[in-house]
Amino acid sequence: MSATDTGGRVSRFGSAVAEGWTRERLGLLGAVALVLVAFAPPFQVYLFTDFLVVALFALGFNLLYGYTGLLSFGHGLFYAGGAYGIAIVLRDLGPVIADVVGAGISPLVTFVLGGVVGLALVVALAVPVGWLSVRLEEIYFALITLAFGMLGYSLIIQDPAGLTNGTDGVIVLLGTVDLGGFSLRIGGRRIYYAISAVTVVAAVYGVWRVVNSPFGTVCKAIRESPDRAAALGIDVSHHRWMTFIVSAAVVGIAGVLRAGLASVASPGLTHWSTSAIAVIATVIGGATYFYGPIVGAFIFLYIRWAISRFPALEAYWELFFGALLIAVVLFFKQGAVGGLLLLRDRLFGDGDADDAGSGGGGARDDGGQATAATDDGAESGDDNARADRGDNS
Amino acid sequence: MSLTSLVPLIGIADVVIGLSLGSRLFLIAVGLSLIFGVLGVLNFAHGGFYMLGAYVTLAVVSNVVDNFWVAAVVGALAVGVVGAAIEFSAIRRLYDRVDSDLDQLIVTFGFVLVIHETVRFVWGSGSYSIDPPDVFNFSVTLGGSTFNAYRLVVIGLAVGVLVALWLFITRTYFGSLVRGTSSDREMAAMLGVDVPRLYTGVFFLGSVLAGLGGALSAPLQSTSPALGDQVIIDAFIVVVIGGLGSMSGAFVGAMLIGMMQSLGPQFISAGSIAIPFLAMVIVLLIRPEGLFGGIGE
Repeated sequence: MSATDTGGRVSRFGSAVAEGWTRERLGLLGAVALVLVAFAPPFQVYLFTDFLVVALFALGFNLLYGYTGLLSFGHGLFYAGGAYGIAIVLRDLGPVIADVVGAGISPLVTFVLGGVVGLALVVALAVPVGWLSVRLEEIYFALITLAFGMLGYSLIIQDPAGLTNGTDGVIVLLGTVDLGGFSLRIGGRRIYYAISAVTVVAAVYGVWRVVNSPFGTVCKAIRESPDRAAALGIDVSHHRWMTFIVSAAVVGIAGVLRAGLASVASPGLTHWSTSAIAVIATVIGGATYFYGPIVGAFIFLYIRWAISRFPALEAYWELFFGALLIAVVLFFKQGAVGGLLLLRDRLFGDGDADDAGSGGGGARDDGGQATAATDDGAESGDDNARADRGDNS
Repeated sequence: MSLTSLVPLIGIADVVIGLSLGSRLFLIAVGLSLIFGVLGVLNFAHGGFYMLGAYVTLAVVSNVVDNFWVAAVVGALAVGVVGAAIEFSAIRRLYDRVDSDLDQLIVTFGFVLVIHETVRFVWGSGSYSIDPPDVFNFSVTLGGSTFNAYRLVVIGLAVGVLVALWLFITRTYFGSLVRGTSSDREMAAMLGVDVPRLYTGVFFLGSVLAGLGGALSAPLQSTSPALGDQVIIDAFIVVVIGGLGSMSGAFVGAMLIGMMQSLGPQFISAGSIAIPFLAMVIVLLIRPEGLFGGIGE
């Protein structure tokens, strides 16, 4: 008896928690957490910034993999594109900009301009590379993106144009904004964290909007069945191309942030092993969920950090992720987010359909269902209104 | 020598070095191509198999028997067993999935990390090297340039493997099963072919070839854990250019890339390492099935 009582209490507690988890409250909680992180010890701030950047990298990658079913092994190209874009602007245009806008504010202006140039460079790369790559599918798509990435790697290493400084990469000096009594070191850990957090949150929100737009719905249809999508009159390769460009642009923003965080744009960013980080984070987190890559990036960086606390194991963290990757693909394709949702259902929503329903229940995979529901509501509302008008006339 | 007088820049040694680099690439690529042609699996861990073959050979030579050839055979077979175990325990579970191709690629990538770190754990991060077997460890001077005779042995063995594989696939009963299963798996299964066993067998054979490639090139290069990651990308280029699933394509592609690695830097100072990737992109776009046909050709 007592066991069932406890079960009932747990279930009631669970439903209360579940009902409290509205999108707004979760958002507020997230915002508070992001602000609190800024007051953590410097290394933790750095680690969290690193997590945010990798999360955005993986999220951009998964826009293509999770939403159109194309696995790229060359997104490092766009990661590096953003990083080199800003690094080269900082190196070559810094003095010019200082002359134009004044030395005090110029580091900030240069940083912003560098970010814009990095993003533009990535889009300029992604348009032709994507156009060519989306003609291929599955393994062949993975191979051609790998080839494009390594082509970029070779060109950056050999540096025929004298821009990328070969294997050493380009040093990134962010400088200090100095306005009389007020000065701000952009590269300072907490300041840079603030810049990264705002940028990443904005970018994630942008991606979320794209995913839940009609465009995103078409992407999901393509992922489920390219043939059926084509039969519905969807131009599959055009959609894939557009998704490729958006995906690359998101990765490019992550690359811009990476350059400032690492203080260098290095050729390793284009190497396929960097592209593979996005694959690992996404698969471990759960590619079918919007937040999968973010959770995966969190696991990737924090488990790596935890492993690095043990000197005997430090060198072998890749072994852990290799094994985890294999296990996830073989046994639990939904990844960590799928696991968490399953755990939540086990704990809170078990056998109580009403509670599960009222708690926003089911798989809140990407808010897609919630949005769809609202859309339906709006539409039926319109229908009612029209019906009303019909009655009146 | 007429060749050297025609093209004074190219020494015979460079050609031999290029062909021997191509030979080791062929041994990896042909296994990769065979596995893809029959199982439809692009094995990312194939470079890791190659590296493992080199390490096992080095370990056997220095600890067990002081005979390179025995060690090479042990290395190749050990890698074959590892490969078969991976196919049997992991990859087999994915054949029936809808998006099996990408899942297989990701799982074999997981094994790249596992093999890399296991090798590092056992043998450390340093690099090892051994001398070629004594019989062939002498210099040959030809047309004014000098190279180690062992390189000729590697080239000869690669050609031997190509011929043996070709005979095996086209002339033996098992070969006909392999060809049949590669063109229509379900039909082969219905006709009584034990497809799962055949798949494990082909994966074993492909892995043995990768291990043999690693074993034979152990005397030609320094062996380090990073070797697998470098060589798998070259192998991808080779199989794409030659055609995924094609054995003769793997041979021609491997020799092309080997020669390019050997001679390229003399002709093109900038961008030479980019050319193979450019070639890979162009072949994928224009002729994704590769420059040569399918399996058995």
